[in-house]
Amino acid sequence: MKRIQLERWSGQLLSPRTRLCCLRQWNQSTPHIGSRRLQSGIGAEVSEVLEEEESIRPIRAGEFASPPPEAAARSAKLAALHARLALPKKLPLQTMARALVDLSADPDPQFNNTALSQVGGSLISAYVSEWLLCHYPRLPMTVLFAANYAYQGPSTLTKIGKEWGVETAAYPGSEVDPGLLQFNKLTPGSKVPSLGVSTRPDYAGFYRRGISSRVVYDDEFGDQIKFPEKDTVTEPVKQPTDMAYSNFVKAVVGSIYIHAGRSAARSFVHAHILSRHLAIGSLFQFKTPVRELARLCEREEFEFPVARILSETGRHSRSPVFVVGIFSGEDKLAEGAGPNLSEARVRAAVSALKAWYLYSPGSNTRVPSEMEEMGAKPWTPVHIDMGEIIH
Amino acid sequence: MTVLGIRKATSGQNGVGAFILQCKRLDFHYCDWAGSSKGMNAFLRSSLAKFAAANPQVEMTVSPRPKKHPVIIGHYINGREKAICVRGLEPGQILKKAELLRDANGEKLKKVTKPVKSLNESVRGIWSPFHGGGIKV
Repeated sequence: MKRIQLERWSGQLLSPRTRLCCLRQWNQSTPHIGSRRLQSGIGAEVSEVLEEEESIRPIRAGEFASPPPEAAARSAKLAALHARLALPKKLPLQTMARALVDLSADPDPQFNNTALSQVGGSLISAYVSEWLLCHYPRLPMTVLFAANYAYQGPSTLTKIGKEWGVETAAYPGSEVDPGLLQFNKLTPGSKVPSLGVSTRPDYAGFYRRGISSRVVYDDEFGDQIKFPEKDTVTEPVKQPTDMAYSNFVKAVVGSIYIHAGRSAARSFVHAHILSRHLAIGSLFQFKTPVRELARLCEREEFEFPVARILSETGRHSRSPVFVVGIFSGEDKLAEGAGPNLSEARVRAAVSALKAWYLYSPGSNTRVPSEMEEMGAKPWTPVHIDMGEIIH
Repeated sequence: MTVLGIRKATSGQNGVGAFILQCKRLDFHYCDWAGSSKGMNAFLRSSLAKFAAANPQVEMTVSPRPKKHPVIIGHYINGREKAICVRGLEPGQILKKAELLRDANGEKLKKVTKPVKSLNESVRGIWSPFHGGGIKV
């Protein structure tokens, strides 16, 4: 298998250390350790630009929107965060500092975390999706979207970022400690800015947005992907806190990938995102479970499901309880208890359907990305399910 | 589409997968003049650098607090803080207190009566009077 050239990737994503005014500063303070480390990857390129731009721009202290890269080496908060997450030593503090600068703090794409979070978000999405598909092959698409949201949605990534002990800076600026998350905070009570227009080709309102089209056109949560309109940028962008935190967490994954490689990023995602607790059974909301169970039995050529009362108490009392079992022939599929017979039957049907949908081949199931490791065993196909019962 | 997905968020289980030390910052306050800070001053001079190097995941700050007793304040990820007054303690004792703050999780101290705390539902389920043969009265 052909390996991706990490150096080339990192060149594309990180070379943007060419903010010209900054370069001049670096040039003047050559013996500085932080700046020397930064220049090491792109030395030739940088020196050329330096010579060209030497006399063009004046330097003014504090004119940058985000802290200068050399501040990263002096920040105790940043070093502590790096150590707390047990990040690989290959990941420099300067990249870590860049991961903490949001688009709304520094609109310059060469100094904010947009590129890193794009890479990291794609990686998280890929690893979480493959894990869910291999471990719960029968999940309906809507529940799969919800499970994806639960593992890698903005609210979860915000929780993760806060659990890492990352605090936000009151206002972004070059004097801020690089260990703080910097973004332009959305004022409470103000309207969340629109992300733009949908990228769907059938954006016109009269098309039905069904589940199958969401698989093709929409993102991993089944939401529409928005693209900013061309002629909008007038005011500085303000960012809700959850978006800033989730971009940061994604950017950390992206920077691990770029500096330490794919397997480090993968194990980081497994350790911090996939190890979290989620009761997937609690994500289901059924509309017509009895009918759906009947269709399932028909499709799988089981006998038609019949609900039978198993036991009851206090039929004429204020709080009766009925226990109803659903049987397909001689086999009991599930049972449920409720205060009336129909409620008990519905609960039994829901229980039977969840038992079907939540089938898992086991926690040791392999996922496709394990094949990327050196010396991986030959791939054995995973369970692929027929799909949902009623669309 | 008879099944809908409910949007929720996963909950963290620190130590499953990755472990994040809950103490994020330790503040050491001392006084140059007062005798109660004698041990603290010796600790700051002799052992703090070693302690800080051994615990890179904790941010350490040292600042004077004139005419007050020396104190160590731990700041935790859950937003709480814990302070221990170390007046008149020896450097070794202060190191013990610093380690205590480092290892704490920041929550209020509470008595743990159950041996296991779990997010999962009980495997055995809730006892039901309708199953298992019944009770003869």
